[in-house]
Amino acid sequence: MASISLKYKSKSGNLTAPGDVDPGAMIPLATVLVGSGGSSYVEFTGISNNYEHLQIRGITNASAGGGSVITMRVGNGSVDSGTNYSWHQIYGYGTAVDVSGNANTSNVGLIISESSVTTSFSGFISDILDYSNTSKYKTIRTLTGIDTNNTSGVIALRSGSWRSTSVIDTIRIIPPSGVLIQNSHFALYGIKRAGA
Amino acid sequence: MAYTYSKIATYTVGSGGIANVAFLNIPQTYTDLVIKVSARLTSTDSPILVNFNGSNSSLSWRRIYGNGTAASSLSGTDGYFLHGDTSAMTANTFSNSELYVPNYTGSNYKSISTDTALETNATAGELFMLASLWSNTSPINQITFQTYSALFAQYSTFHLYGIKAEV
Repeated sequence: MASISLKYKSKSGNLTAPGDVDPGAMIPLATVLVGSGGSSYVEFTGISNNYEHLQIRGITNASAGGGSVITMRVGNGSVDSGTNYSWHQIYGYGTAVDVSGNANTSNVGLIISESSVTTSFSGFISDILDYSNTSKYKTIRTLTGIDTNNTSGVIALRSGSWRSTSVIDTIRIIPPSGVLIQNSHFALYGIKRAGA
Repeated sequence: MAYTYSKIATYTVGSGGIANVAFLNIPQTYTDLVIKVSARLTSTDSPILVNFNGSNSSLSWRRIYGNGTAASSLSGTDGYFLHGDTSAMTANTFSNSELYVPNYTGSNYKSISTDTALETNATAGELFMLASLWSNTSPINQITFQTYSALFAQYSTFHLYGIKAEV
């Protein structure tokens, strides 16, 4: 059995000088606030490979294509638009639970959109583990949901795979049609390697 | 600057694989624990046994589950809170899981929530959401992950973080 003793790795609790304060392992890298008129996509480029995991937190909705899914493409240097992805989901929409999945897709389904309203946003947290590991394909896990004051809504656990061992340094989030509406907000975090 | 999300330890499975991974002597100085797991198994069995402080008793769970074609719910009285991609799934593909253990030093029973994605390039990917309980009042100082059969494959990773509620 592999085991790691953490006996001597406890934080001391005696951090005094500002320079000694541990900034933590979850580092904000970039944020995007969509302005007036919306945006045809949001993209993070030049992502450093100095972290172990990436996490994106945000709220968004699409101006069209209600009930469809806001998607993600990733890549190294540029986004991969080939059919190198797959995705799956389990979701509930107020009356029942359902599932779906697809292979050889050109993106990863990420966030439920509800274009029938412009005052409600989908919240989501998306985790990409080991995004810079060149021995692994990349797996993305997302918890997302939207409620429109009980007129419609969905909650979903979604996953996606990018079948590449390349480091992810580019992420693009794309509406099913129309634009990502004004005041959509995306925050990208890098999570440091535990124990490093 | 406050540190609310602190790195504690990482284990990466090496060549040849391994059947068990344990974090021992976990510091008692955080509020919650988060464990991020990216795992692949060398067999076709996906379950991973999780236990606390070396005990395989007083564990239970309830889950919702989807496999690309159907959704279901199930409960159990064991520690199979976690799952990993199997040898039958697309090569080089690893799971994406997060276990959240709130108030792990408290004197109440320990509630654990787990989200797991098992991706594969087919309709039959698997998703799990579990609510679990360790019916024990002891502070958690050890967490062990054990395969149902065979080994964790090379490059599987286990990342332990501490969450602190105050500066």
